Order: sequence, then structure tokens, then C-alpha cells
Amino acid sequence: MNKLFLALLPLLFFSCEPEACDSCNINIEESHSIKIDYARNFNVNRTNVGYRLELIDPNSGDVEKTVSIPSGKDLRIISLTTTLNGMLAILEKQSLIIGITDEKFIYDKTILERFDNKLIETYGDATNFSFEKIVAAKPDIIFYSGFGDEFPLQKKLEKLGIIVIPIYDWRENHPLGKAEWIKLVGIIADEEEKAQEYFNQVVEKYDSIVEVVKTYKESPTVIAGGIFGDVWYAPGGDSYFSKLLQDAGGNYRYAKQKGTASLEFSLEQVLKNEIDTKYWINPGVSSKVKLNERNNKLHFLKSYEEKTYCYSSNMNRFWEQSAAMPHLVLKDLATIFHSEEKDTTEMYFYNRVK
Amino acid sequence: MTTLVRHRLILTGILLLTPAIAALHLFVGQIHLSIDDYWNGLFSFDKSSVNEIIARDFRTPRLLMALIAGACLSVVGLMMQTLFNNPLAGPYVLGINSGSSLFVALSIMTGVPFFASDFGLIINSLFGAFLFGLIILFFSRIVRTQISLLLIGLMLGSFISAFVAFLQSASDAQELKVFTLWALGSLQKVDFDQLAYIVPIALTGIASTFFIVKPLNALVLGEAEAKLLGINIKTTRLIIIILTAILTGLVTAFCGPIAFVGLAVPNLVRILFKTQQHLTLIIASVLIGSIFIVLCDILIQLLEPYFMLPINVLTSIIGAPMVILFILKRLK
Repeated sequence: MNKLFLALLPLLFFSCEPEACDSCNINIEESHSIKIDYARNFNVNRTNVGYRLELIDPNSGDVEKTVSIPSGKDLRIISLTTTLNGMLAILEKQSLIIGITDEKFIYDKTILERFDNKLIETYGDATNFSFEKIVAAKPDIIFYSGFGDEFPLQKKLEKLGIIVIPIYDWRENHPLGKAEWIKLVGIIADEEEKAQEYFNQVVEKYDSIVEVVKTYKESPTVIAGGIFGDVWYAPGGDSYFSKLLQDAGGNYRYAKQKGTASLEFSLEQVLKNEIDTKYWINPGVSSKVKLNERNNKLHFLKSYEEKTYCYSSNMNRFWEQSAAMPHLVLKDLATIFHSEEKDTTEMYFYNRVK
Repeated sequence: MTTLVRHRLILTGILLLTPAIAALHLFVGQIHLSIDDYWNGLFSFDKSSVNEIIARDFRTPRLLMALIAGACLSVVGLMMQTLFNNPLAGPYVLGINSGSSLFVALSIMTGVPFFASDFGLIINSLFGAFLFGLIILFFSRIVRTQISLLLIGLMLGSFISAFVAFLQSASDAQELKVFTLWALGSLQKVDFDQLAYIVPIALTGIASTFFIVKPLNALVLGEAEAKLLGINIKTTRLIIIILTAILTGLVTAFCGPIAFVGLAVPNLVRILFKTQQHLTLIIASVLIGSIFIVLCDILIQLLEPYFMLPINVLTSIIGAPMVILFILKRLK
């Protein structure tokens, strides 16, 4: 009897709980990578059963996570990042979304309609959600903005077969790298070709604007970011926004500072360095009243009076679309920096802060 | 050397040290400023000079606010400790600071127009401090003992903290960040226009404390003994609570919460002077409190090239171990 028990023991272990295995049944030898031109924070391989995603930790550059995505299946997605909502909207795959953070952050009409029709639920952000509500919705995938931390209760969700994917698009150092995340979304939405085609068009449009900007003579000085508390946060020199400022013909003082993470300065330092800077981009608020609420000494910056611009024509639209439409952000910035040399002053995302 | 002479000597030393440390504060920072920058900035201001702008509109108000915040919080802490006969009492124990936090949280994290539109953080903070000052006043008329009032204040604080935590959990990232940053405290937001009414209110409030020196001295003996000495406990309590609401509300409104100063400084003063004479204790608390915050802010400016340290964080880092040391010293 004891011998029989011992003989069956290994079987017992193997049958207790299926091993969490992302690569089960995947023929790695048959896989081949999908070309990623600009993005640094993910890789995709096509396999015999679907796709294999590698998510890269932006800090270490190591693979943080590998997940398998089956092809030919409509996945149920909870998207806690507006960027992904925008990309799914571009691919006309809003029907996959079953959950969002909050409807007040949504711009896309189809998503809002689906929310009104109770086809989409709100789940709050990654720091504050109901585990059981998520489980009850039976999602296949949860997207969230990656800040280096694991999603809360990630291991428990993965045990239930829910794939949790951190989105590091904001840590890319090229605006087209940020836009290239649409390829990842395309794979998940089973729209690989459409995403590829869209991205190629974006690259073409972006590059053509860069070529036009090169013909402009002026390169005005520009400061970006704004003050929170006593600290001014500005885009890192290697960040995608620093690249956008430069590609739009702006002269960004901190362009050579290493890193994609935000730079921190005191207001005294900013005043000393930037008092005569011509343009101020992305103060984070849409009006001077709100700007003064943050700090009542910002008026010393010369750009404060007439040359402060924010993505305030519709904030939700900006957060939803700007990642996948860097050519429109670039066009707006070029319009701001070269208004004297350009025929039009029409902008899509940006407005002057009044 | 008599005690009086020793006290006078120490007070003179501190009095001389205060302007020296204040002057040091003016010249510490990542931007090098000269005496001329201050002189010109204050008396022949040239708007095109960055250094003069920094001297006039950044460093000078920051220094004045540091001096005022330190003085107000310390003197309030001293009065609280005497009123409750408890060295661990401070300006925040009555829930007055929590009242400020609640109304600031409401202004940032709710869409209610009353809280979010015309009222800025400052007005909300002041309103919260005074409203909760009034609530405490109401309770002070009902309850008989200081300890009951202290417990009510603590419970109010806990209740409000829970409510603020709920608001935080339900707020979005942007709102949460604004509130968190307010809660970290800052000496840098005030300007001369605001100082034009902060300074007179603070000075009037501090000066008023000199009129209750006698009741404060009597309260040290305990409520019963103070009554026997002819002190009107209810009136004294009322005056102390009103002054606490005004001075704490003023500082919290313009700087956010600054913890431990009101707790640590009066204890330090008592150890240094070994007296219960409130005239000496008030003067010393005003001076040492001012020096304490100015020194903290100097340290913040010295550390700025490496990292940005909020004032409330630094006062807690320094203040909390100080309080532990005081407790250990008393136990010995």
C-alpha cells in the first residue's frame, strides 16, 4: 500500500495545480520576431499558437515579463490606461473593452456609448480597485500604466488566468516609440496588419513634418513641465517629449541631460535659467488662474504672459490620442514655435494658457 | 549666578543668534546672491535682474514665513502643553489642523462648487481651522476637565483623518498629488502681498499671549490650584483655543501642515530654561521656534542639489527623535 502511495505521489504533485506556464505548447523554434523600429520597452514574437510578448523593464533593460497571447480570439480587456483606449479606438476595437478607470477620463464616443449601455464598467485606478469585481467580469487582460511596481494582487489574478500587462509607453525615448505600442495593441486585438499599416502612416507623416521644420530658420528657447509643490518637473533629455520639442525646432536646455525620467528643479533655478525663455509648454493646467493657484511667482517667467501653451483644447482627447498620434503633437508644437514662419495657427491638441 | 541672570544671558544669546541665522538663510541656495542683490531688490528693484527678483520675491518672503511659522507653532505648542498639563500636547491635538486638512482635501478632491471654485486652498484651510476651533470651543464649554477636551480633540482628529483618507482613496492621481504636496508643507508660496496681513495677524496673536502669562503660570499648578489663585479657567481656555485656531490656521493655510515644531520646541525650551515662568518660556519659544524652522530650511536648501526635501518631512525627521529623547530624559 505504502509503495503504491509513493508511486502515485509524483502524480499527485503534478495534478495538484497546473504550473503557471506562459510558454506551454508554444513552439519557440517556429517563432520569429516582429520588427520593432522605435519602441524599446517591448518585443513581440509570432509563434505557432499566437504571439509571445516580452515586456522590458525601462530601468534595467531586462525582460520584466513574458506573456502569451492567443491569436484569432476576441479578448476581454480591462484598460486602466487611457493610451490603450485611444489605440483600441484607432483600430476600431472598442468592443473588446469591458472595463475602464473612470468614464470622466474618456474621450472616444464609442467607448462612452458602450459605457452608457452598461457594456463597460469602471474599476478605478490600479491603486484602488475591487479584486472580486474584476474577477467577476472575467477579463482576459488588464492593462495598467507601469510605474515599476507590480499590479496589486497580480499573482492572484494570474493564477486565475488573467494576463496583467504594464504599459511603459511613457518611458519611451522617441515619440514614434510611444506610438509603436499600437503594434502590441494590434496583436492583442487581433489586428496586427491594421496596426502595422497605421504605424507606417504615422512614421511617414511624422518624418515629413520634421523635414518641413528643418527649413525654418528660428529655433526658439523652450521650457516644458510645471511646478508641483516646490518642485519643477521637466522632461528628461532622453524622454519622448524632449525629442518632440527638438523635432519641432525648439531649443530645449535640458535636451542633453540623460534619462527618460522627469528632471527636478527648484523654482529659483528655473527662474535663473529660464526667465527669458520664449515658450513654456505643458504647465499641466489650462488657465492662468489655476497656474497661479499652483504658485503665485510664475509670472516672473517671460513666457508666462503670452507664450504658455497646454494640451487643453480637450484634455481627455490628448491623453487618449496623443500617444498614437505624435505627428499631430509635433505639428502643434511646430505651429507654436514657428508661428511667424507658418501660414496657419490652427492646432489640434494645444491652446494658449489664458 | 541667579536663575534670572542665567535666563537673561541665554535669551540674549538666542536673540543675537536669530538675526545671524536669518542672514545665513538669505545667502544659502543654489543661486548665489550678494548683499547688493538684497539691497537693490528691496529698495531700488530692477525687474530685469533675476538675482534681485530671487532676493526680493523668493528668499525674503521665504525667510519671513519661516520665522513666523516657527514662532507661531512653538508658542501655540507651549500654551497647549500648559493648558493640558501634558508635554505631548501640541497645536495639532485639538483637531484644528485636521480641520484645515479636511477643508483643503474637500477643495481639491470633490467637485462640490462651494469647495472647489472661488475658494482657494488658503481660504479653505483657514475656514477649516476656524470651524474646528469653534467646535472645540463648543466642547470646551460642555466638558469640565482638560483631559476630556484633549481626548475629544484627538478623536476629532482621528475621525477627520479617516474621512480625508476616504477622499484620497476615491480621488484621481492628479488630485491626490496636489493634496499630498500640500500636506508636505512649503515655505515658498507666500509673497509680500500675503505677508502684509500674515505678519500683523501673527504678531498680534503672539503679543496676545503675553496677556495670559499669569493664568498660564497658574495653570502649571493644576486647574484646582489655579482656580484658588483666582484664575478664570474657562476664559483662559477660551483665549488659548482662539489663539491656537488663529495662529495654527494662519500657518497651515499658507505653508500646509508643519509637524513636530509645536511639540518639540516648547519641550526643548523647558529643558533649556528649567522654569515654569511663561514670560521667559514664550519669548524663548518664539525665538527658538523661529531658529528651528529657519535652520531646517537652510538644510533643505543645502540638500537641494541632491534631492528636494519638503519642510514637513524634515521637521518630522528631526522633531520625532527629539520628542523621544525628551521622553527618555523625563523618565530618567
